[in-house]
Amino acid sequence: MKRRTRNLLLNWRIILLTLFLVGSVATLAFKPLTFGIDISGGVALVAQTEHPVDSDTMQLVVSSLQKRLNTLGLRDITVEAQGDQIVLIKVANVSTAEEANQIKSVIESQGVFYMEFSGTVFGTGEDVEYVGIYQIKPDNSWAVPFRISKGAAEKFAELAYGKKGWPVDMFLDPPVNSLMVVPDSVYRLMNSTDFNAEAPNAPTLMERIGQAFNVTVVAYANQSADEIAKLAEGKDKIVLVDVPQDLQTRLEGMNLTVRYVPRAPGESDHALIVRVLGLYGPYSLGEGLTVGEPQQDVQITGAAPDRLTAEQEASTIYTVLKSGSLPVKLNVVGMEFISPRLGENFRTQALYAGLAALIAVLLIVYFHYRNWRIAIPVASTSLFEVVIILGFASLINWNLDLPSIAGIIAAIGTGVDQQIVITDELLSGERSTRITRRASVLRRMGRAFFVIFASAATTIAAMSFLLVYFVGTLKGFAFTTILGVLIGILITRPAYAEIAKYLLGED
Amino acid sequence: MSKPKTKAKPTAGDAVRARKRKKLGFLAEMEYKRMILYPLVVFLVALILLAVNFPTLGIDLQGGVVVTAYGIDANPDELAKTLSAQLGVDVRVESFTSVDTSGIRVYAPVGTDPTEIIKILKHDYPNAEYTHSEVQPTFGKIAQQQGIRALVFAFLAMAVVVFLFFRNLVPSMTIIFSALSDMTIAVALMGLFGIELTTATIAALLMLIGYTVDSNILLTTKLLRRKEDSVDEAYLSAVSTGFTMSTTTLGALLVLWIISTSQTIDNIAIVLIFGLLADFMNTWVLNAGVLKWYLSSPARGGSE
Repeated sequence: MKRRTRNLLLNWRIILLTLFLVGSVATLAFKPLTFGIDISGGVALVAQTEHPVDSDTMQLVVSSLQKRLNTLGLRDITVEAQGDQIVLIKVANVSTAEEANQIKSVIESQGVFYMEFSGTVFGTGEDVEYVGIYQIKPDNSWAVPFRISKGAAEKFAELAYGKKGWPVDMFLDPPVNSLMVVPDSVYRLMNSTDFNAEAPNAPTLMERIGQAFNVTVVAYANQSADEIAKLAEGKDKIVLVDVPQDLQTRLEGMNLTVRYVPRAPGESDHALIVRVLGLYGPYSLGEGLTVGEPQQDVQITGAAPDRLTAEQEASTIYTVLKSGSLPVKLNVVGMEFISPRLGENFRTQALYAGLAALIAVLLIVYFHYRNWRIAIPVASTSLFEVVIILGFASLINWNLDLPSIAGIIAAIGTGVDQQIVITDELLSGERSTRITRRASVLRRMGRAFFVIFASAATTIAAMSFLLVYFVGTLKGFAFTTILGVLIGILITRPAYAEIAKYLLGED
Repeated sequence: MSKPKTKAKPTAGDAVRARKRKKLGFLAEMEYKRMILYPLVVFLVALILLAVNFPTLGIDLQGGVVVTAYGIDANPDELAKTLSAQLGVDVRVESFTSVDTSGIRVYAPVGTDPTEIIKILKHDYPNAEYTHSEVQPTFGKIAQQQGIRALVFAFLAMAVVVFLFFRNLVPSMTIIFSALSDMTIAVALMGLFGIELTTATIAALLMLIGYTVDSNILLTTKLLRRKEDSVDEAYLSAVSTGFTMSTTTLGALLVLWIISTSQTIDNIAIVLIFGLLADFMNTWVLNAGVLKWYLSSPARGGSE
């Protein structure tokens, strides 16, 4: 008997199981598990790009979003691209629904950034290489230093030569290639020198956006929808600003893309224009940049009536610059918010549910065989399997979300099934005589493992499609299922077979 | 473990096993034609049920807004009326209870602002915990397509692997049909019990592929590869193993379903329970019937 025990303990399958078990426990002790948003709380958003993009563009979208959200002071953010259109954003530690909604609007407002001078776009968000911390002076003037790419700097130096005081504009998501229909007062303001900084002889804002973005502005004078549609020929969309809203319905009825912008209560013409165009500026061009020398390190300066406003203005510019530009517009198509307190409940609950399921397995297996020497090894092997899966998950920083937990459950379920197959094959040899037993154990184990490998292979084959093709949450499910099945057939099942052979006196 | 008694070999009591086999004996005695017929009838009924009453799609597959409040004990109908009146859109309210909490779920159409709903609810229930999710129809459509694609591909992959393992048309086709029938019946039962088709329940259906193939492979292996016993003997041995497997899994799932308050886990558990119940019939009656018929037909494997 002593020798049998020693043989069991020295069996490589048992040693392998022990090693993995110890390794997993150690990993879990030093590296706690990370949980998904649906368990730990937070907000998960699914954003979709306006149209499918290539993988380089997708990478750009991901890094820009990451930058922008970081700029907002959020931590624990993951941004992940899936396929050619979907971006998954998860932010942990978000405690209120309002905060969650704010993040949503940030992602959606994330637009395309342009730097324009005298009707020419000389740089986009991609040309912003570095943004320094903004400074606020005692006189409430502010400055945001940043560095632009060499190409943009050269282009700018050429454009700006000798044009001191001319307006430099920045735009976040301007209505590129559109027809703007605006009230007469707005039209006149856009066509005046009001947006010209300190250069009355520079082109007006209307001329600049016309040249840079192909935006045509018309004054609203009771034109019919048909007339407006005619003007908009060749344009991507029509922007209706503070004009009768029934125009929108009629134009949309003609299958045109229309954006309707009503005037906010008490909003001035100036503020309305700035809002519609996504305009930051105009900033007056300092003398140092007008000598034809390319300069990569530049800064935007401004002045505000009080310190708070200065701070707001500077931080807005800082954020806009820092976020870089998104090459394509994003829409949030799905979001889920779980409050952290609830998340904690879920976690303890998942733990209890798991333990209870394990105890149920123990009792049912006992009930079937009326033998603790079968029930305890079956249940504890399942427990070991969970520990090893979790150890692995923490090792590779896998985010454990509800679908992942479901995957673990699936793996455990098939694990128990397979252990029962092994047990029954071993027990079915009872009736055979001692002489044939040794040979038949091998054969029966072979049969058991044929069943096990066949079912493992089908599960893995079925799940690997999920892992590769699916976007969204089912990836976690597929991953843990496959991981569990692999650990099962490679580590725990062979070990269980040895233990069962030992306990059932069949070795 | 150190001193096991040499004499009383630790095995399942023969009496227990004999009793179990006796209980399951009726299955072995059933005629194979009926064994094939009954499950096919059930499959057809499931198909008809699906045609008239397909499960509704969850908001993650068709778009919409859902706000869940935990720690609320309210009349769902009244709450729905109040909310609909204040929001100006029709909402549906469901209440749920579980071991340690109770709560409500508010379902609202796409475009409703979930924070508005929470604001209204907070007025009456300031201490509840709120979660919300919203899905646009466009994404719902993507998820739908992917769900279908995942199911189809997973099913095909399973079929290929089964073929590779058995390299035998009739047994392989039976296994594949069993899995199909399991899934069909599970979905039909979902429709009957008002369980929504969501990404989570699609995951459960995928899991079902794994589970159902397990028992079918076991049965087929035992019947086709086991040469030392008679077909009936092999069948009984497989059925008793399969019975143990299924009840263990069912028990664990039932416990999971009772204890968890997470809708995801609950739905996955219940769909698996449906599928495993269907699988019990499809493996041990249908698949067994086909195999018995196949093995007894003289042209094939011979009678014993």
